Amino acid sequence: MKIIVFIDQIVSTQVKLQGVDYFDPSKVNEDDLVINPTSKNAIEGALKLKDSLEATVTAVCVRGLKPIKALREAIAMGCTDAIEIADEILYTEDPLLLAKIYVDVLEKFGDFDLVFLGVEEQSTSSYAVGAMLAEKLGLPSVLYAEEMETIDSGFQVGHVLEGGRNIVTIPKKALISVSDSQYFTPRYTSMRGILTAKRAEIPSWTAADLGLSTGVAGKEAASLQQVSLTNIVIERESYIINEGEPEEMVDKLLAKLKEDEVKLGA
Amino acid sequence: MKILVYGQIRDNLLEENLLGILNKLSEVFQGSEIYAAILGSQINNEWTGELGKHGVKKVYTVEAPELENYLSRPYVKSMLEIIEKAEPTLVMAAGTVFGEDLIPRLAVHHGVSCAQRVVNITLEGEDILFHTPVRDDQAMKITKIEGVIKFATSRTGAFFENENPSGSAPEIEKVEISFDADDMVVKHVEVRKAERTVNLKDAKLIVAGGRGVGGKDNFQILKDLAELLGGEIGATRACTDVHWIEETYEIGQTGQSVSPDIYIAAGISGAPQHLSGVKAKTFIAINTDEGAPILKYADYGIIGDLLVILPLLKKKLE
Ligand SMILES: Cc1cc2nc3c(=O)[nH]c(=O)nc-3n(C[C@H](O)[C@H](O)[C@H](O)COP(=O)(O)OP(=O)(O)OC[C@H]3O[C@@H](n4cnc5c(N)ncnc54)[C@H](O)[C@@H]3O)c2cc1C
Ligand SMILES: Nc1ncnc2c1ncn2[C@@H]1O[C@H](COP(=O)(O)O)[C@@H](O)[C@H]1O
Repeated sequence: MKIIVFIDQIVSTQVKLQGVDYFDPSKVNEDDLVINPTSKNAIEGALKLKDSLEATVTAVCVRGLKPIKALREAIAMGCTDAIEIADEILYTEDPLLLAKIYVDVLEKFGDFDLVFLGVEEQSTSSYAVGAMLAEKLGLPSVLYAEEMETIDSGFQVGHVLEGGRNIVTIPKKALISVSDSQYFTPRYTSMRGILTAKRAEIPSWTAADLGLSTGVAGKEAASLQQVSLTNIVIERESYIINEGEPEEMVDKLLAKLKEDEVKLGA
Repeated sequence: MKILVYGQIRDNLLEENLLGILNKLSEVFQGSEIYAAILGSQINNEWTGELGKHGVKKVYTVEAPELENYLSRPYVKSMLEIIEKAEPTLVMAAGTVFGEDLIPRLAVHHGVSCAQRVVNITLEGEDILFHTPVRDDQAMKITKIEGVIKFATSRTGAFFENENPSGSAPEIEKVEISFDADDMVVKHVEVRKAERTVNLKDAKLIVAGGRGVGGKDNFQILKDLAELLGGEIGATRACTDVHWIEETYEIGQTGQSVSPDIYIAAGISGAPQHLSGVKAKTFIAINTDEGAPILKYADYGIIGDLLVILPLLKKKLE
């Protein structure tokens, strides 16, 4: 069984960057780049099946600023191998284009069974790539998965639903986009994994390798066009207490609430 | 101009976010015709009637046993057929789990991208502009979509319904669609409904906990404080997922909607799906991470460990 996981790289949410500068990759320190947390959930989903189904798990990252770093970490977590898609011409802000690139990656990859992706990413998420890829491939799919179990015909998957959880079954060849749940909580890298990752050779595919040109997968081919990106300024004034002993902080809060005539409790 | 809205039915009612979308659309696209599509195993007249009241001129309905539960393929198939009949310029759905599944798929079939979780729609000349917050609401991205038909979902809770709708009964067009085995490869098993044993809607004060609570037993700290203050407790999906607390306490898009006077959010990062269920007069956040998005929404905040702060708060209030 062959499993593919698409992962992407974001600037760690621990990093405080000012305003829309955040979105300017040239202003980003490479050390601050991490695997998108939800992509890690996706890796976990694949790895949980690796042993029980004797599967190989290949992590793929399209562009990214330092994709090799992310891909090595994926291998350190337990992925069998990884592929970097490195080409400046590829535009990744348009979910349909990204899905198209994935289709070509999968084609070049050859046989595959399961595709895992994340959903709910922390960056300029489109929330659309998983569904678009599934539709393009005509693959049965589940989005927002929170748990899964192997059954004879494939998998039984539970996904997020308003008011509860929805349970469906899907065949073995399918696409699953996973959300942040206990089942998909990512494992840590192991010492052995880190050593394997260090030595791993990560092939790099270019747009030409995938038969893609700017006209097909570059910015000019995008149907979703960004008109502007501006900082959101929230007018609300917050009173945030960020120093002092805990007791002082609580006293400060209570004093301020009193001053503002906010009554705690009924 | 014609607009088509996916009329999602949830728990035997029209999805509440739909009414907000309809209000927004009639505001932005004055003079346009709004249509809706309802798919299901049995269509209720009340749903179509309510859509009419909120300005929908025509409702396309598809009734089939295969549509009993949302499944991508039969729903996409039906919607594509309806889009062909209705010839809309814009197709919208509420950004529920199913709406967000449906819209990108429809867009793919029309060779275009889509805008998900839109919080505003504006016009600029011929262009429809979609406003979507990105990266934990740090920035607002405005996009436009090329193509004859545009596809979008709204973020849940983004739009408000018209309180005094005055529309009349819509025209109904029944559409027949046949499904084959290939459409039904993904099989519905069941919906595990969260038990709603506690109603948080009328709570005046809520002490809500997130993953930062750290474990089942620690919820007692929240319960103690809530009890002292005559309020209720609440939680994020991260907590109900791991069964630290009963599902009934989940607040947000997939949990309950609340509007207390005071909302104390402890160990909650502030995901939009959580916050979309909270409308509080006063918002107090306790978080160890100064960069947590929730602090932007808080009127008051303490950067600290909730396991220390909450018991202290309780002690001082006693
Ligand atoms: C379609 C969909 C619908 C969803 N609907 C909902 C919904 O209705 N409701 C909902 O809640 N979620 C919902 N979610 C999940 C949501 O996206 C987030 O994953 C979830 O809300 C995160 O919960 P959290 O804030 O508890 O956890 P985290 O995001 O992990 O945040 C934990 C926070 O606790 C802080 N912390 C850690 N330790 C401490 C400590 N000791 N003291 C103080 N602070 C501490 C951390 O700094 C962090 O900010 C939905 C997801 C999807 C995909
Ligand atoms: N550039 C990329 N390379 C590889 N995978 C990606 C990339 N961008 C997004 N993804 C994957 O697609 C998921 C969903 O993205 P989105 O639909 O935009 O929210 C992410 O969690 C990743 O798993």
